[in-house]
Amino acid sequence: MHLFLLGVSHRTAPLALRERLDFSSRDVGAAVEALSARATTSETVVLSTCNRSEIYVVSDQLARAREELIGFFADYHQVPAAQFVPHLFAREDAQAAHHLFRVAAGLDSLVVGEPQVLGQVKEAFSVAADRRCSGPTLNRLFTSSFAVGKRVRTETGLGEGAVSVSFAAVQLARKIFGKLDGRRVLVIGAGEMGQLTARHLRTNGVGDIVVTGRTFARAEEVAATIGGTAVPWSERNTALGRADIVVTATGSPTPLITRDDVAAAMGRQRREPLFMIDIAVPRDVEAGAGDIEQVFLYNVDDLQVIVHENMSRRSSEVQRAEDIVAEEVGRFMAWSRSRATVSTVVALRRRFDAIRRSELQRLDFKLTGLNPTERARVEEVTRLIVEKLLIEPTEQLKALPDEETQVAYTDAVRRLFALRDDREAEAENGRHETESREPGSSDTSSS
Amino acid sequence: MNILPLLIYIAAGIAYAVHFSKRDPKVGRAATTLLLAGALAHTFVIGMQTMEVWNAPFAGAARAVSTFVWLLALSYLYTELTSDERAMGVFILPVLVVLQAVPALAAPATSGPDPLLDSPWFWVHMLSLLFAYASFALAGVLGLTYVLQFKEIKKKNLGFFYTRLPSLQVLDTMNSRAVAVGWAFLSLGVIVGVIWATQAQAALPTDPRAQAFSIQDPKILVTIVTWVVYSFAVVARQVMGWSGRRAAWLSALGFAIVLLSFLPINYFVTTSHSFN
Repeated sequence: MHLFLLGVSHRTAPLALRERLDFSSRDVGAAVEALSARATTSETVVLSTCNRSEIYVVSDQLARAREELIGFFADYHQVPAAQFVPHLFAREDAQAAHHLFRVAAGLDSLVVGEPQVLGQVKEAFSVAADRRCSGPTLNRLFTSSFAVGKRVRTETGLGEGAVSVSFAAVQLARKIFGKLDGRRVLVIGAGEMGQLTARHLRTNGVGDIVVTGRTFARAEEVAATIGGTAVPWSERNTALGRADIVVTATGSPTPLITRDDVAAAMGRQRREPLFMIDIAVPRDVEAGAGDIEQVFLYNVDDLQVIVHENMSRRSSEVQRAEDIVAEEVGRFMAWSRSRATVSTVVALRRRFDAIRRSELQRLDFKLTGLNPTERARVEEVTRLIVEKLLIEPTEQLKALPDEETQVAYTDAVRRLFALRDDREAEAENGRHETESREPGSSDTSSS
Repeated sequence: MNILPLLIYIAAGIAYAVHFSKRDPKVGRAATTLLLAGALAHTFVIGMQTMEVWNAPFAGAARAVSTFVWLLALSYLYTELTSDERAMGVFILPVLVVLQAVPALAAPATSGPDPLLDSPWFWVHMLSLLFAYASFALAGVLGLTYVLQFKEIKKKNLGFFYTRLPSLQVLDTMNSRAVAVGWAFLSLGVIVGVIWATQAQAALPTDPRAQAFSIQDPKILVTIVTWVVYSFAVVARQVMGWSGRRAAWLSALGFAIVLLSFLPINYFVTTSHSFN
């Protein structure tokens, strides 16, 4: 049984092609069901976001799985295979796990460390799990990937620090004021970036937003789009005195707000700080205003510096995140290997038990003199001997360090005890697993 | 016996430092658990000593310091658990460790029952003052962290503290609460102290310590100065809008005076407050 991944991502395919192969705009659940119905693969999860369309399956014939998935992409999206095959990427086993874990960690995203992708991975899995298209291997794989995403977020700084100017401004505001609930915002001017910042502030819970500008009609327009109220230009200083956060984005060639204006606004008993975000070029606020106690003045360059610092900090955290990914891939593969030896272990147990039973049967006539209790005792003792003999080999097989050794050992065991061929045992293994719980496969298969 | 809580506090301090720099939540939880264990051990030690000597656990400078450390540990734990902010631990724990070293390394107290201290007033006086000092220690640390972060944001140099500390507003609010609580208990402690001293002077005319209760005693003088500083901090915030950085500096200054009153003066200068 192998894990197999086939798909396109922003690294391999242009946007136009990704759009055509996108599952998320249509019903992903239907796609998962359609694929599980037609393919020979045993488990299916479809991960489709604006940056990627990836299909994860479990199969024992990789070449066939590949053909089936290509056929599915082509039929489902009505795109000739020749158009997208050169852009496909495929991964197997550890490589596939590695890829998914990197995706969940945000390492494969366009903006490294972005948090949304983890939610999308969770969604993709739950769509498949709800339709019973996933199975033990993908259950384990995806739940591990959630753990990777969580670990990377809590243990590294990969997702920290805003990487756009307007988010950097919002983050600063939160660092100064804590929660932004009820904070008053003054927007001066109609610049694009100013409006964007105001909108981000709004989604972060600020109270009223007041807009002003030299053209009142324009201020009213801006107020209408960002959900605020407009005040005439003549009242700007009163508004400044009331505001906690000021965003300026006018096209004025000279500063509109002088140091004295700010000093007057801060004068007399004002207890709260004033955060001024001057996004305009040339600047709208006199630089000296930033020297006033309790005034924090940031211009567009300052914010840009923060953004660059955050980006470089994120990239310096990449290695730590990659280490976590590698560690978790190792853990997943160990689990997967211990599962693979199960079939051999089961076959071995069956063989031993069969010998025990046949010997008991052969000696049945000699045991006729025993009463039922004594017979049960004999049964019990022979069973225990077999169990004891098998404990150590079972543990050893499950703990084998890598695939090569594992293949060699299972092969040796199969030859030495003349065990039956793989497929047969594999089928029995499926049944066996539901009755005996072996350690390491404590996944939530059918939930 | 005071060495055991000291060792646990040191371990907790290391854990808080690792948590602060690495920001690993597991280490953070371990740090809190260690501090809880330290405070528990400390409770046990203080209880044992009280039973042993059979007077209040803060007679004598070393034992007063030990009780102060215990109260500070508890106050900090309370703050951490209610605000869910662990970043301050790295600043509080050094205070705990340094101060706890005093009773841990001091010779064990041998004093028996002391007639001067045999009064319920003494208990109220000491407990409210020690609790006030613990609040001031918290406020001082909050003020210090406020200033550190304020500087980073003002200078537009968002670095180490910026990414680790809670927002300025949260620090300022917590600081204002700690100062207000501390000031209330300081006032209570001082008033009770005056009542107790007056009674003691009447009851024990021959005790030189009781007769030394006057404004000229350095310990009493420094306490009055402390009270004036914190009263100003409370009033300035309410009336003059002194919040943020000014309030932060004031609480740091106040705590420096508290430490002064606590260690050098207790040990070397005071006559009235010497109970060893």
